[in-house]
Amino acid sequence: MPSYDELRAAAELAWKAVESPRRPLFIVSINTSSIAAGARETLAALTKLSEGGAGFDVMQTGDTGFTFAEPVVQVTLPGGTSILYGDVTAGRAEAFAAAAATGVARDHALGVVSGAVAGVPQLAELDWMKIQVRWMMHNCGVIDPENIDHYIARGGYSQFMAASEMDPVALIDVVKGSTLRGHSGSFFSTGTKWDFLRTATAEPKYLVCNADEGDPGAWVNRVILESDPHLVIEGMLLAAKASGATYGWIYLRDEYPLANARLNRALAQARERGILGANALDTGVRFDAEVVRGAGAYVCGDETGLIASINDGRGMPKIKPPFPAQKGVLDKPTNVNNVETYAAAAMLLRVTPERFSDVGTEANRGTKMFTICGEAARTGCIEVPFGTTVNQVLAAVGGMAPGRTFKALQQGGPLSGLLPAHIAGDLPLEPEPFRPLGAGMGGGGLMFVSDRTCVIDLNVMFTWFIEAESCGRCTTCRGGNQRLLEILRRTSQGLGQDGDTDQIASLAASMQFSNCFHGTLSPTIVNNTIKYFREEYDAHALEHRCPAQACDGLIRYRIANQTPAVAEAAAICPVRAITQSGGAWKIDDATCFRCHACKDVAPDDIVIEDRYQDAIPLRVLVPADVARSG
Amino acid sequence: MLEHEATLEIQHLIADCKPGDGDLLAALHRVQHHFGYVPKMAMRVVARQLRLSEAKVYGAATFYSEFRLIPPPETLIGWCSGPACRIAGGDRIRKVLETELGIGMGENTADNRLGLNLAQCNGTCAHAAQVWVNGKVVGPLAAADAVKLVRDLKERP
Repeated sequence: MPSYDELRAAAELAWKAVESPRRPLFIVSINTSSIAAGARETLAALTKLSEGGAGFDVMQTGDTGFTFAEPVVQVTLPGGTSILYGDVTAGRAEAFAAAAATGVARDHALGVVSGAVAGVPQLAELDWMKIQVRWMMHNCGVIDPENIDHYIARGGYSQFMAASEMDPVALIDVVKGSTLRGHSGSFFSTGTKWDFLRTATAEPKYLVCNADEGDPGAWVNRVILESDPHLVIEGMLLAAKASGATYGWIYLRDEYPLANARLNRALAQARERGILGANALDTGVRFDAEVVRGAGAYVCGDETGLIASINDGRGMPKIKPPFPAQKGVLDKPTNVNNVETYAAAAMLLRVTPERFSDVGTEANRGTKMFTICGEAARTGCIEVPFGTTVNQVLAAVGGMAPGRTFKALQQGGPLSGLLPAHIAGDLPLEPEPFRPLGAGMGGGGLMFVSDRTCVIDLNVMFTWFIEAESCGRCTTCRGGNQRLLEILRRTSQGLGQDGDTDQIASLAASMQFSNCFHGTLSPTIVNNTIKYFREEYDAHALEHRCPAQACDGLIRYRIANQTPAVAEAAAICPVRAITQSGGAWKIDDATCFRCHACKDVAPDDIVIEDRYQDAIPLRVLVPADVARSG
Repeated sequence: MLEHEATLEIQHLIADCKPGDGDLLAALHRVQHHFGYVPKMAMRVVARQLRLSEAKVYGAATFYSEFRLIPPPETLIGWCSGPACRIAGGDRIRKVLETELGIGMGENTADNRLGLNLAQCNGTCAHAAQVWVNGKVVGPLAAADAVKLVRDLKERP
């Protein structure tokens, strides 16, 4: 097997062809988000042009984080000038290529990556980039994630080489001293966790990488795995060196097939080069790993659920103790960290512990990745120092979408809460400030919500999700969430009652006796809503009115103008609720199921109004299927 | 296919899966990849190979939303259940899909041409509200777009 220095020398040669190419090099971002925007078609179009003698080469990369501009293409010219471009759809590829290969395609230019081009801003000077410190993302959208040479040439596996000469205790002390804590949402000291495994007495010891990023609206781990899978493998190798673990499982959610392919390829390449195996790079460290595909169960994000899923097939969380460090996968001592935590551990050594400590806050050194979605102006993935405020992030992504006002932040998925803009905006992004508010920061999802969204409706959605994803073992979680959902559904139908908030509080209190975080944290959003959006709750429950005009049971559609567009609306209606009599169109309110399709077709002629504006019903019977329907 | 032929086929598929080695999910994935779903008889073969009870294999197969117990339709429409889709009108799209097709989530039309499944967010939220038609993201969709999409798919020869 070649030595690390030999690997590095060969890798640098391969990387030189990317950094200073002989011909223009078109680097196409291929990731799950870009594929959705048509990047595979862009790649095919550019490859065809290249093969047809267009005089440039084509390469793929992972995710630049500029999701809002996908398909994204970076073009590096032989002189070294490199520009990042957006919205390069296949249809525009030919004209784009002609301009970009010889100079600059101004219509698409996002920013200059290296060099200087008149009239195009430096990428680093964009608001989007200015607040970022890209450590874990340093290879994202830069290297070909399927080429191990690119990773090695940019310093990859050098931290493992340096750490392999350290005493495990000294290595753990460095990690402990850095304050590095789990990035998945629990924020437990990573060094301490590694030490639990190191001091465990049973053998063999195992590592698990939690890549079951189930929080809807978050795709931080996906960005790393699709863009730089070796960074996670190097982080696991460091943990193996520190703890004595010899085998690892990367538990990957099945919604990420591209990450699965790239991760498996990375593992195979690392094995071929002797980085994984009986004697990693001749350091005496023995470690290998495999990918386990999950199959769609949110509760497997809990570490005991995840371990149960590997062991037994069913991902039922277990009561601790025993902790995974005593009894984990195959009943052996196991350490579980998530993707970003392993990546952060590798980067902590790469940037040096001193520089790492200079970034972030006193309690949380370093950086954290976040994905931005919802009603913000731009969607994408960023990496910022811990302590960056929510408002700073919102400003960097261009504020809210046009015409929308920041009303609430939904951070970290269903179990982390929903906070109003006036509180969330000033919050520094680190776990501590969220806790006294009855919320959590979570693992990296930031969904910005506007005044057009009804928080009760959002509550119904999240509680339904939590209820559906409960493993069902604890009555408090299973039954508690069923009852919670019934109350919320009733409320959204205009059938809320005076004592509902007390009932919710009582349910929330009993749910604290659930076994795992899924149960104990499940009432977080509903508690937040009652605390911070009480007015909206009361408007639904007591006034039978949905201020955002989103809740089905509280609105009705009415034809305001008899125009030809209404005939089209009638044709699109899935339930044929729009009928004509005596030359006039009308909507039968009892048939209408509020799908909004008619208003999409005739936006100016059909209006939404409060259903009970004329009379508040004193008593409305709830059909059983409304209260319980899925 | 004769049952014993299918049995041999599955045995071949999962030949390297071992008891007590955390291989149950991998075995079920391979079966689903091969058949497009997990047939009941496959659970029996998997159970024997991994020395587990059939109940345990069934328990695992039904614990996860990704494993299908019925054959896939020709065209599968995945409805994204994520929050970014919800605030962009995702719940209305669900109603449209179910009503236009006359089926619920996890079901196929009687002729097996179209089916619906409840999909989990994969972070392509820039396209909210979206559906996946045989795995390909289609969005952003308004409710009217969803009606047209389904009607087009129904009319496709």
